[in-house]
Amino acid sequence: MKASRRGLFPALCGRVPLRPPGARPEPEFAALCIRCNRCITACPYKTLKPASWIYGERAGTPLVVPRKIPCYLCMACPPVCPTGALDPITDKRAVRMGLAVVDPESCFAHQGILCRTCVDECPLEGEAIYQDGELKPVVTEKCVGCGVCEKVCPVAEPAIVVRPRGDQ
Amino acid sequence: MNKPRRWTPLRRSVQLAVALLYLVLPFLNRWGLRGFMGNLASLKVGPVDLLEPAVALSVVLAAGKITASLVLALLPVVALAVVLGPVFCSWVCPWGLLSEGLDYLKIRTLHLHRTWTADGYRKLRPLRMAALLVFLLASSVVASPLVALLAPPRLVTALPQELFYLSVRPVVTGSVLLLWLLAELFLPRRWVCRALCPVGALWNFLRLPWTLQVRFEPTLCVDPKVAPCHLHCPWGIDPRSMGRFDGCTNCLRCVEGCPSTALRAGFGKPMDPPVRTKKVST
Repeated sequence: MKASRRGLFPALCGRVPLRPPGARPEPEFAALCIRCNRCITACPYKTLKPASWIYGERAGTPLVVPRKIPCYLCMACPPVCPTGALDPITDKRAVRMGLAVVDPESCFAHQGILCRTCVDECPLEGEAIYQDGELKPVVTEKCVGCGVCEKVCPVAEPAIVVRPRGDQ
Repeated sequence: MNKPRRWTPLRRSVQLAVALLYLVLPFLNRWGLRGFMGNLASLKVGPVDLLEPAVALSVVLAAGKITASLVLALLPVVALAVVLGPVFCSWVCPWGLLSEGLDYLKIRTLHLHRTWTADGYRKLRPLRMAALLVFLLASSVVASPLVALLAPPRLVTALPQELFYLSVRPVVTGSVLLLWLLAELFLPRRWVCRALCPVGALWNFLRLPWTLQVRFEPTLCVDPKVAPCHLHCPWGIDPRSMGRFDGCTNCLRCVEGCPSTALRAGFGKPMDPPVRTKKVST
């Protein structure tokens, strides 16, 4: 029963997508979302896209692909959700979409190259990501998962990526 | 004797306006006009939130919880259903318009017999109930709001959104719609609306005794044998003997088809206990 509540085709769905700000944790989000496309329409940056058919029965649910367009935390989408799949939060610091993870193998700062793009561009200005004594980026628990860092990372395959938090 | 007004031109205008709105809406949204957004699962018109009742029920069963925003968005729609009856199917839903068109083409090209079996509509009531229950139970079992995913009203209004605004390939929406289209073509007349659609089924069961409905005054009936009202009904219902949950969507075709004033739509309890067509007892 527990397994079936994860969705019709859990195997097909693959990795859980990054959800809009305010999204309920994953199995609950998929149950509450009615694919009315209102959050996607409300998004002024065209960040939110409907999931394609490869997501199985989750097709049509909103997701964020930060490397294409990250979330700029304008908080326009949470209040328009009619079913509570998105909690109507308006404080961008309360968002918990995901958590940025740095890959030390490819991160320029970790190779001794001077780069602080992610730290500079983070909309939470020093709260979510800071430079340690060796000038390496460190992500804190304040990170909301907006994905701006993933978008601006100069490494071809981004060295900092957002892992969705919803899928526990 | 005053002939009641013709309702079909008005109804067609409303249906076409809704269909046109959903064709134009993606472009309006694209130009940044967001005062009106959503599809027929849920709409936001200015500050007003609207949620389709069957979709809401499906969500509650899938998620196992009720949210305040959901109830708030549901109230205006339930109020409309309770006052005006299942007008969503006959006056609003673009699938209803499409289905009426297909039915017309089906009859014209296949030369089907236009008349309906006398009591056929009554046999569809349990089927309609079963379809609704299956959708709702399945929503609960797979934890997914299946009414929102599969019912024609949302699909048919989501298709232009996906094509003209969201720029995704409408693979899922398109294929499910195609299945409904095939059902419309190969099943008996108007079965998708009359028997299978969970949205229409719930609107139909939201009728109260004082909900707007067509009522019959037998003393004024001038043509009980031919019964033009029964022939006019797009769902094959006989308005002279229908019960409250027999599927009437208040399209008022029977009222304008009636050569006298025996049929009229009104609120309040029916004038008489419904007059049943005589059964031959042996």
